[in-house]
Amino acid sequence: MNKTVIEMRNIIKRYYIGQPNELQILNGISLDIHEHEFVSIVGQSGSGKSTLMNMIGALDRPTEGTYLLNGVDISTLDDYELSRIRNQEIGFVFQTFNLISRTNALKNVEMPMMYAGMPRKQRLERAKELLKIVGMEDRADHQPNELSGGQKQRVAIARAMANKPSILLADEPTGALDSKTGRMIMDLFHKLHQEEGTTIVLITHSNELAAETERIITISDGSVISDTGVKEE
Amino acid sequence: MNFIENLRLALTSIAANKMRSVLTMLGIIIGISAVIMITTIGTSIQKTLVNTFNSIGNMNYFQLYVQVNYSSQEDDEIINYTDEDLISREMLDKLVNTYPDYFYLNMTESFGNFEMKNWKGQTFQASLTGRMNVEDDNDIKFVRGRKINKTDNDLHKQVMNVSTLFIEQYLPADADPIGQTVSTDLGDFVIVGVFELPSIYEKQIYKPGQKTIEKVTPVYVPYDTVMALTHTENSYNYFAEVYYNPEYDIDMLKNTLQEFFDDEYAEKPYMYIEIENMQTQLGMINTVINVITIAISVIAAISLIVGGVGVMNIMLVSITERTKEIGVRKALGAQNSAIRMQFVVEAILLCLIGGVIGIILGILGGMTIGYIAQTLVSQFYSEYAELFSITIQPSVPAILISVGFSILTGVFFGYYPANKAAKMNPIDALRYD
Repeated sequence: MNKTVIEMRNIIKRYYIGQPNELQILNGISLDIHEHEFVSIVGQSGSGKSTLMNMIGALDRPTEGTYLLNGVDISTLDDYELSRIRNQEIGFVFQTFNLISRTNALKNVEMPMMYAGMPRKQRLERAKELLKIVGMEDRADHQPNELSGGQKQRVAIARAMANKPSILLADEPTGALDSKTGRMIMDLFHKLHQEEGTTIVLITHSNELAAETERIITISDGSVISDTGVKEE
Repeated sequence: MNFIENLRLALTSIAANKMRSVLTMLGIIIGISAVIMITTIGTSIQKTLVNTFNSIGNMNYFQLYVQVNYSSQEDDEIINYTDEDLISREMLDKLVNTYPDYFYLNMTESFGNFEMKNWKGQTFQASLTGRMNVEDDNDIKFVRGRKINKTDNDLHKQVMNVSTLFIEQYLPADADPIGQTVSTDLGDFVIVGVFELPSIYEKQIYKPGQKTIEKVTPVYVPYDTVMALTHTENSYNYFAEVYYNPEYDIDMLKNTLQEFFDDEYAEKPYMYIEIENMQTQLGMINTVINVITIAISVIAAISLIVGGVGVMNIMLVSITERTKEIGVRKALGAQNSAIRMQFVVEAILLCLIGGVIGIILGILGGMTIGYIAQTLVSQFYSEYAELFSITIQPSVPAILISVGFSILTGVFFGYYPANKAAKMNPIDALRYD
């Protein structure tokens, strides 16, 4: 079995702690995700899957429980260290693409590398290479508003891959796309998974998309209710 | 994430909102340009004054004034002093003989206008001025002959320096002026040199009956020659000028002078000599102008605070607008410090660009006012224009301080919004629409 990338034990997340409207979103989630896996996390809206995604993406710390990302305990890190983790270990792909509107595709891809402190020349080369992988090398100097939804998402995926993260974390990546372009994006994920060996965590409410992945984790009311388990090789 | 990256980011976002950026800068532009304009005018006045003083000529002299010492006065005592208590020529000669390295006399005195008859029998006016030595006067340009010197003075020679205007009036055009004799009320003088004067030195006399203006030209004769001719070698004066050698320390010279006269007046405690100096007077005028300039500049600088608040306001709006962008940047690994730096640099750049525009406008404004003043002077006081050329000079320290102040305004008013952006929760920021 491959190396464990994510190791979660009894993760609990509460909001408004100590107040009358205290809310527990995650009720002790435990899960392991390994290198080169293509996992989908499925759940209805309100099931806690967004909170779980924020937790996996190191945007948030658990109230209780331990989360080891590549063996590092996330819950003990400060803001600065969390930002390093997001920069180096996580590649975010959002439903609404979230490209920075005033800068072109190339600069958007360069951004995580800029925050990593990579020299300009090196970063430019890598950004071009990434745009080539997602098939957007011709559109490098286009502004986001000159790109179609599918093209934007491909640039966003290139950006997520910039610092060779341990996990590509995609939150409803096809949610804002029509079925045809959504299909193309899913094909791109499959390609990245197969050719680059990228570990992908896909968060979706669509069972159809989830069925394409190697492993399906279903969340309901803040708990894991089913896990198809690690695919045997 | 280095400074250049931040600069690039800031330029992109300032350029993305040009109209808003310019309006934001307006307060800074107005504040800085007001300060620069005022300081430009201030330094120009100063420079003009200094130039004017320098053009007057040798300023290395002390002015001596006879003063009555009222503190020595007993009750009901009336101080009666006579001419013999004033500064005598004897005293001054003694001073110069005692300290030949430090002091010398260069007396100049006007002995009034006198009427001349020229070769055609027409009358014209000239003013007779006695001077000890014309040789170190660089203001007047000699066109022929030589200047009156110390030897002429000491030997009481009856020689004269006249201006080209005098020659025009006195002699036919083709006559050689050198060696010509001029008869005055005091006696006959031989012309040894001809000079050209700036027109300001020509007196203008308005003749009421004829409604004409006549130019009166000065003629120079040796001072002591006049003293000898009028038998007033030992004159007494309330006022005297003593020239000094500027190679020596001015305070030392002043003390020496004061001690000398204190000794001279030791037996006359009811009188003393007060010593003043043009250089120190000029220094005082400069100080006054400086104080006024700084005071007005500080008032103008208050508008900078208003401008700074404007920058802060726009930065806060900008940050709210770009909440989602901040969330995305944080999700992609931007550290809080990087976000903070991005917005602080943006605020600094806004203020700095505003500051530079303000400096340029301020210099242009100050120059415009200077040129208007110059034009007015040359229009209405054309004879002063030569002497009183207005020098327009922007204040370099004010420009440097303005640049520094703009940056400081950016840091001060940019930090709060930038810090607010830096501390945003990435999850909330990402969810923001």
